[in-house]
Amino acid sequence: MPEVPETLGAPEALLEVKGLSVRYDTAVLLNDVTLRVDAGETVGLVGPNGAGKTTLLRTVAGLVHWEREKKRGTRAGNIVIEGQVVFGGQRIDRLPPHGIARLGLVLVPERRRPFRELSVLDNLRAGAYLVRDPKEVTRALETVYGLFPILRERGGQLSGTLSGGEQQMLAIGRALMTRPRLLCIDEPSTGLSPRVRREVLAKIKDIGRTGITILLVEQDVSLAFALTTRNYILSHSRVVAEGTSEELMADERLRQRYLGVAGTA
Amino acid sequence: MLGNILVNALMNAGVYAMLAVGFSLMFGVARIINLAHTAFYMVAGYCIFYLVSTAGLPLPLAILISIVAVVVLAVVVYRLLIDPMREHETTVLILTIALALVLQEAMLLWFGGYFRSVPAATAGYATILGVRVSFQYLLTLGVLAGALVAVWFVLMKTKLGLAIRATAQDREIAEVMGMDESRTATLTVAIASALAGLAGAIVAPLYILEPRMWLNPLTIVLAIAVLGGLGSLKGSLFGAAIIALAESLVVFLVPQGAFLKGAFSLGIMILVLLIRPEGLFGVAFEEER
Repeated sequence: MPEVPETLGAPEALLEVKGLSVRYDTAVLLNDVTLRVDAGETVGLVGPNGAGKTTLLRTVAGLVHWEREKKRGTRAGNIVIEGQVVFGGQRIDRLPPHGIARLGLVLVPERRRPFRELSVLDNLRAGAYLVRDPKEVTRALETVYGLFPILRERGGQLSGTLSGGEQQMLAIGRALMTRPRLLCIDEPSTGLSPRVRREVLAKIKDIGRTGITILLVEQDVSLAFALTTRNYILSHSRVVAEGTSEELMADERLRQRYLGVAGTA
Repeated sequence: MLGNILVNALMNAGVYAMLAVGFSLMFGVARIINLAHTAFYMVAGYCIFYLVSTAGLPLPLAILISIVAVVVLAVVVYRLLIDPMREHETTVLILTIALALVLQEAMLLWFGGYFRSVPAATAGYATILGVRVSFQYLLTLGVLAGALVAVWFVLMKTKLGLAIRATAQDREIAEVMGMDESRTATLTVAIASALAGLAGAIVAPLYILEPRMWLNPLTIVLAIAVLGGLGSLKGSLFGAAIIALAESLVVFLVPQGAFLKGAFSLGIMILVLLIRPEGLFGVAFEEER
């Protein structure tokens, strides 16, 4: 597993998305999107429903390309991907998802998607699939248990029986078991009570502090902005603004249009 | 009488379970309904017949070679023909039934339409619960139990098994976790056809071989899959046990029951489809929710 290069001075671009467009038949899901995530950052990706946030994460993780390869020539239609995705200096937009996972980019998917019929422990083991050394697996497991003690208690339980918040913690824990360099988290707070939401977001902040780079898609803008270093606003398949949380919140027009929090800053 | 029914049911349940588990695994992981699955079981039977009768090999060696041959054949066919068509579900159905017919005609061509049989590995019998049970039956039951335990071990205790179970749940997320879906699917086809081959090896000395012997097990496997829930391993085991017991009861208790057993299995299938279409332990694929 390659280490994150510790360059002082100019930040290292870990993920670069360059001119990325995704179309499903005539529907444009991403339109010439360019963004970058530097090593060590926690970057937020916000915007209205249907703006293309999930598609962006799915494309970066290789799922859109994979879907295109699988469904070529079926009635599901024609998927077009243009532009580049570069991770750690390497183009990944033609790699299968498992190849991207191998490089250290992992997705915590929308709706959490635990392997429902598998136990909590097996879900975590599935995350450690690429880790060869059993000692490393144990160490990763301890780290995840340290972060989410509830997962240790629930170890033998089928993950489908967990509460929403626990499933979210499991999804994040499972992704951490891959020992990622970049964690892409899609809508972690959806469907959770305000208290659990804050708890989950606080954990994500802790994970960011350990040096793991995070790209976070989140509906709850005020929660997200509290922990991100930089943000992109996506609307109608395009990037419409970029900046730190303070910068974006200071812009009255953006705040009213996209951030859904009028005049409270 | 009761003993006869139970022994017969146990035996059939084991064979059906081996076929149904493989069928179910392939559906769960590779997402294909492989109607040629039981044709591979037939090929294994004929392969053993050829190696024992014509080539004069000892039975265990013949069984081993046959299973390897069937696995190689199944994997080659999967990679070349089925895998490129996987997303076209109807095409896979047509393709695999065509494949089964090709194999049937090939057996007819090479071995003729005669009833063939393979000599049993052991002679003699034991008496259990007042039923005469041949050693061949006992040996077979042992092999069946061993094979099912081995499958359980691979699925629950190995990394490949973890990948198979995870992919069967949600193939997108399995990929995201670094599991190569295409490799997992191919290995699943290999395991499933090895089970079919072993089932063929078990059946060869007990029943007769003929070029249409794949058809009846196929309808039974489909009935089991519907009853247990397509894609569910637990469902395959329970379904196999229920169908096998039901069949034995019909065969022993109903006059001319042997002719009715296929109809009975299909009757159960239709009832399940009417009352509980998802079966006993139906699964829903996560990425399609």
